[in-house]
Amino acid sequence: MQLKFNTRDPVYMQVIRYFKTQIATGVLEPGEEIPSRREIANMFKINPNTAQRAYKEMEEQGLIRTERNFPSKITRDESVIQHVREELVVTAVNDFVDAIKPVNVPLDELLDLVKQKYAGADDQKGGALDD
Amino acid sequence: MIEVKNMVKKFGFKKVLDDVSFTAEKGQITCLIGVNGVGKTTIMNAIMNLTPINGGDILIDGQKLNKHTYEKVTFIPDAITMLPQMKIGEAMEFMSDFYDSWNEARANDMIDFFRLNKNDRINTLSKGNTAKANLLMGLALDVDYVLMDEPFSGIDMFSREQIANVFTSHLIEDRGVIITTHEIQDIEHLIDKAVLLDNGTVYRSFDVEELRENEGKSIVDVMREVYQG
Repeated sequence: MQLKFNTRDPVYMQVIRYFKTQIATGVLEPGEEIPSRREIANMFKINPNTAQRAYKEMEEQGLIRTERNFPSKITRDESVIQHVREELVVTAVNDFVDAIKPVNVPLDELLDLVKQKYAGADDQKGGALDD
Repeated sequence: MIEVKNMVKKFGFKKVLDDVSFTAEKGQITCLIGVNGVGKTTIMNAIMNLTPINGGDILIDGQKLNKHTYEKVTFIPDAITMLPQMKIGEAMEFMSDFYDSWNEARANDMIDFFRLNKNDRINTLSKGNTAKANLLMGLALDVDYVLMDEPFSGIDMFSREQIANVFTSHLIEDRGVIITTHEIQDIEHLIDKAVLLDNGTVYRSFDVEELRENEGKSIVDVMREVYQG
């Protein structure tokens, strides 16, 4: 797996963001085992101490659970997962609003465009299979 | 921990290192950064007692350098030190005769890791494979500290990736590493600590994650401030 890290955000936060996205989009399911810290360090080509820190932080936030001598697992706590999903949506919307605000588009027009694009994005996904 | 305290080094009248102090902890990767001629290699040579220093102290796990410290630290210079007509296998035997801390199993492990052939002669190897063989000789020693001088210089990107992979593998595990490099991009996400040298002294040393967290800067950002600002 290749994950492109940027050089200005703390790497451990980028690792957490990666896991949050995976949880929110359901790629990682509740209770699913995740790779060990060393495997993650190796996969992402990051410092093992950083991987350790990311896991520790995720444990504190209740995103993963680690029992002694067992691989870490994604939480089964629905409220945590729901919270992660909301966080992801809010962040994405905030980014979008920040980007579009200076353009000064009327809200109705903007929402129409969003609806159109949103539906279009699904079509495109389906269409991609044909070619 | 390797401690360099107030180190001074002169070549003739020229002071090349002036009051250099930093530490490198076990289990961490410390990167010495600086433009050419700033004294990175000299620092490594001094830690290995390969060049006399004119002031200051170097301590390894709290002890001054003595003949036993060579079984604690390994130095991987930027060029291979084995005889060129030796086969890789023969160079391994040489190392095994020379060092108590030679770990044959790990050496064989690295032959596989780097896809090297023990029957190849060192003078027939490509530049990339020479660098890998060189790393093998150093990393196969069971020592707590590893010094690497420019392990990436002049090497193609795939070999560089392969070498960078060493840092996240069991080959480094909980050892302390001091590395010098120009190709900071290759290992930006791998290092714990950066020591920036300028004009023969430590300009700034910092924990790279803290830098990103507190200042939102990359290592290269700070390098620009120092060397171009």
